[in-house]
Amino acid sequence: MSEMWINMGPQHPMTHGLWNLRVRIEGEIILDADPEMGYLHRGIEKISEDRHYNEIITLMDRTCYVAGIAWEHLYIQAAEQALHVTPPERAEYIRVLTEEMQRLASHIMWYAAFVQDLGLMSPFLYGMRDRDLLLDIFQSFTGGRLTYEYMRVGGVRNDLPPGTTAQVRQTMDWLMDRFVEYDRLCLGSDIFRRRCDDIGVLKANDCVTYGVTGPMLRAAGVARDLRKDRPYAVYDQLEFDVARADSADVTGRYLVRLQEMRQSVRILRQVVDWLDGHPGPVMAEHVPRWLGAPYAPIGREGYLVKRSYPKGLGFSAIEEPHGEAAAYVVNEGGEHPYRVKFRSPVFVNLSAVKKYLVGYRVADIPPILGSVDVCVGEVDR
Amino acid sequence: MAVQSLYGVASLLASALFGAFAPAWLVVLVADAIFGAILLAASMLNTILLIWYERKLLGRFMDRRGAMHVGYAGLLQNFADGLKLFRKNTYPPREADVLGFYSGPTAYLVSSLVIFGVLPISTGWDNGSLPLSLLLALVIFSFAPLFIFVSAWSSNNKYSLMGGMRSAAQMIAYEVPILIAVVAVIVLSGSFDLTTIVAEQRNYWFWAPLFLALVVFVAGMLAEMERIPFDLPEAEAELVEGWNTEYGGMLFAFFMLADYLRALIGSILIVLLFLGGWTLPSYVPSALTNFPLAGIVWFMVKTYLVFGLFVWVRASLPRVRTDQLLRVGWMRMVPLSLLSVFLAALVVVSRCLPVIGCVPGMGR
Amino acid sequence: MASSEMKERRTEGPSSALWIAKPLATAARQFLKSLVRPSTIVYPFERLEDPQFRDRVRVASGEPIGIGRVWDNYRGVHALNIATCISCNLCAFSCPDLCIDMVTVPGGDPKHPKKCPQIDYGKCSYCGFCSDACPEGCLTMTTRYELATSKRSEMVFSPQQLYEVFERKLPMNPIRLERPENEDAILLEGPLCIGCNACARDCPTQCITMLDIPKPTAKPGERLPKRIWKEPVINDSDCVRCGTCISVCPKECLFWGTHP
Repeated sequence: MSEMWINMGPQHPMTHGLWNLRVRIEGEIILDADPEMGYLHRGIEKISEDRHYNEIITLMDRTCYVAGIAWEHLYIQAAEQALHVTPPERAEYIRVLTEEMQRLASHIMWYAAFVQDLGLMSPFLYGMRDRDLLLDIFQSFTGGRLTYEYMRVGGVRNDLPPGTTAQVRQTMDWLMDRFVEYDRLCLGSDIFRRRCDDIGVLKANDCVTYGVTGPMLRAAGVARDLRKDRPYAVYDQLEFDVARADSADVTGRYLVRLQEMRQSVRILRQVVDWLDGHPGPVMAEHVPRWLGAPYAPIGREGYLVKRSYPKGLGFSAIEEPHGEAAAYVVNEGGEHPYRVKFRSPVFVNLSAVKKYLVGYRVADIPPILGSVDVCVGEVDR
Repeated sequence: MAVQSLYGVASLLASALFGAFAPAWLVVLVADAIFGAILLAASMLNTILLIWYERKLLGRFMDRRGAMHVGYAGLLQNFADGLKLFRKNTYPPREADVLGFYSGPTAYLVSSLVIFGVLPISTGWDNGSLPLSLLLALVIFSFAPLFIFVSAWSSNNKYSLMGGMRSAAQMIAYEVPILIAVVAVIVLSGSFDLTTIVAEQRNYWFWAPLFLALVVFVAGMLAEMERIPFDLPEAEAELVEGWNTEYGGMLFAFFMLADYLRALIGSILIVLLFLGGWTLPSYVPSALTNFPLAGIVWFMVKTYLVFGLFVWVRASLPRVRTDQLLRVGWMRMVPLSLLSVFLAALVVVSRCLPVIGCVPGMGR
Repeated sequence: MASSEMKERRTEGPSSALWIAKPLATAARQFLKSLVRPSTIVYPFERLEDPQFRDRVRVASGEPIGIGRVWDNYRGVHALNIATCISCNLCAFSCPDLCIDMVTVPGGDPKHPKKCPQIDYGKCSYCGFCSDACPEGCLTMTTRYELATSKRSEMVFSPQQLYEVFERKLPMNPIRLERPENEDAILLEGPLCIGCNACARDCPTQCITMLDIPKPTAKPGERLPKRIWKEPVINDSDCVRCGTCISVCPKECLFWGTHP
């Protein structure tokens, strides 16, 4: 067969979203790869310039639809820095609780989709089943299962209802047993190892060159984790290890994510213990409950709620489930931020696709790209 | 008179309808038609039941329930799905080769259906007991890559083409070990006739002496059926739907039905060749074997259990890659099947079985 | 060429045999568990909000994990108590999706018709900002989540429809936000005021009273501004910070600020 380009996307079972991977193949061998993103661009950064600080939270939930609250956390830290607000400590702990639960939910979702790409359907349903327990906990205190709208500038919307911590503990115990099951289904299977070993190799120096972060970087043997290297919230008070693998291939990324889930459980147990012993306010003082209106209603354009805040800049970077995300918020004193900018880890990880795809086979594309954990909402924003 | 075969049923019906006033050749013709219709209906119903069975079984493996709303426990769900597909239109792509596009799936389905004509299902229910029925069944069974490749090629779709290439390569690669493994059965039973092969298993089933051949045959059948873990021609993740990407509506239903027909045929062949067909071991109480149509019932039970094994494999293994599949096929399965033929010959010569022990008067 | 471009890879896996026993055993174990009862909740017949289906992992794990104990604070369709609605517009202002329109409802002063929110669920993102903003607690979110319809126009819920949801007495979001202390208040820039009474007239909570102020005596050569010599005084404890007064003020003399 001669060389040809094939389009894997924008509607293709492999893409998990809306993007296009063009690959040039000869027979089954990939000679070239070219990612095309932008099909899901919603202009979140631009819309944010026209929304009030708290209302951007609703956009953050929709930036990455499997890790909504991690992006809320990312944005809210930058916004608080720009608005000169400091949240109370309990709110910080609750945020860490939600972020780690979100990391678990995102990684379980990744596991489900990744193994399904390999043709094995059962883990998909096991993963969805187990993720639902986390969503149940989320729902019990945020009111949403996917789009939480929970964090506010200055803290979080409400405190945890009684019983949540016990529920978290129970769920964590249950999940730890499930992780063993996950490993049996994947690492215990020789076919899985044959499919995943030594494909999609991206060595550490290439990761650094391309700016690849997150589990892909850690799978290449670099113990880089913003929670350790640039601690935010209360991560410096929590004990955990940075998951790391040396093989730099798909199996390594699998191992890193499974290890990260176990570390998240470890973190969550500490956080829950702390929360039980330290009641307190979850909202900073001197923060208006709702911060003005974004628009005048139609027909009443004369209505303008003029408020202003001291100017400021906010920058935050967090270890999102997919990698290192960063946010930059410019507060020029108006009601809305002057500019909001996000760094999406998956966008960068995907941009290096040529580096870790060329030379493998067409059948290797789903596991390799599955191991990247693509979330197109976050790529295109 | 006790009806002892399917063709007997057909003849009885034909003579009851026309026997009084039609010439004999017409009665035979009508009997043939009725026979064919019954066979078609039975195989189709079984296939649809098989799909239901897989859905329910797979559901439990995946901690869910499977189809459950249409009919009792979702039994009619597949009829509803079929009806939906029947009502849908099929659009051949603009540059498609229309003749190949339409004839491919049709021939694929028909060639799978024909095999049922030669498969015996119980004592006497063997449709004429062809002396080479095993060979005939396998020959028709191996037509499939041709039809798949024709429909894949004529779809004018890159995914279809790659799926068709994979399918052809895979099926041809696994034809060889399957046929050699079957040779082991033939060596032990001394016959190409499926009825005789089952009859030869009255003392011991062939799976014990021919365990190696069974493993090769099951693996090869998994590849021939294109089921997970060997379903890479339709690998959904990279090839959308493989060689039937462009098919919709009834033509897709043809592919789907033919796939499950082949799965059914594969299970039946495993039961016939290795698991004693419709016979039960002698230590089974006779109450279990002495009821009307007991042979057919046990045959079906065995077939569905074998298919359940395939479902189990599907629920626990990811799919392999083409090169791995072909390497396993040519470099592992072919030598293993040759070894199994050698072992079968050894059994015949030494008149000893690995598990059961030496039996005087065994072999030929 | 193809083979030369192939990257180096191990041809042999971790073990030479096709080792598949572990996954097969895991799937079989799950199969036996699911035979008793799969984890599925058969949605239209079994619902998560039903207490009997809340402990859904009980069967699979043997350990009940209470879920949905606080299902009640799910953010679903709104319920509106028209009787207590004060037409303050806060819900409409706080909506990031602009899905809330204030429409006139029957029963109200003909001069100042009562306006209540009408919500377009085709646009709504269920963020809950409106119910958080509602000062009277009359707009709340309920656990109702089934909205499937074949017409877009049916996605728009009029105040009466929202009131019907209220009358169904569904469990409502129990978490109410408290008013923060030190909230911004509405302040008056006195010299600009012309005493027109518009703010007091339109205030939904009637917390503005117009008090007389002494009319200054004009110095020679100076013209007094032509105005009514009254100024609004806002009762801060009753004020809900809706900003209606600011919007109706013709002279833009009311503004947000902190009390000195």
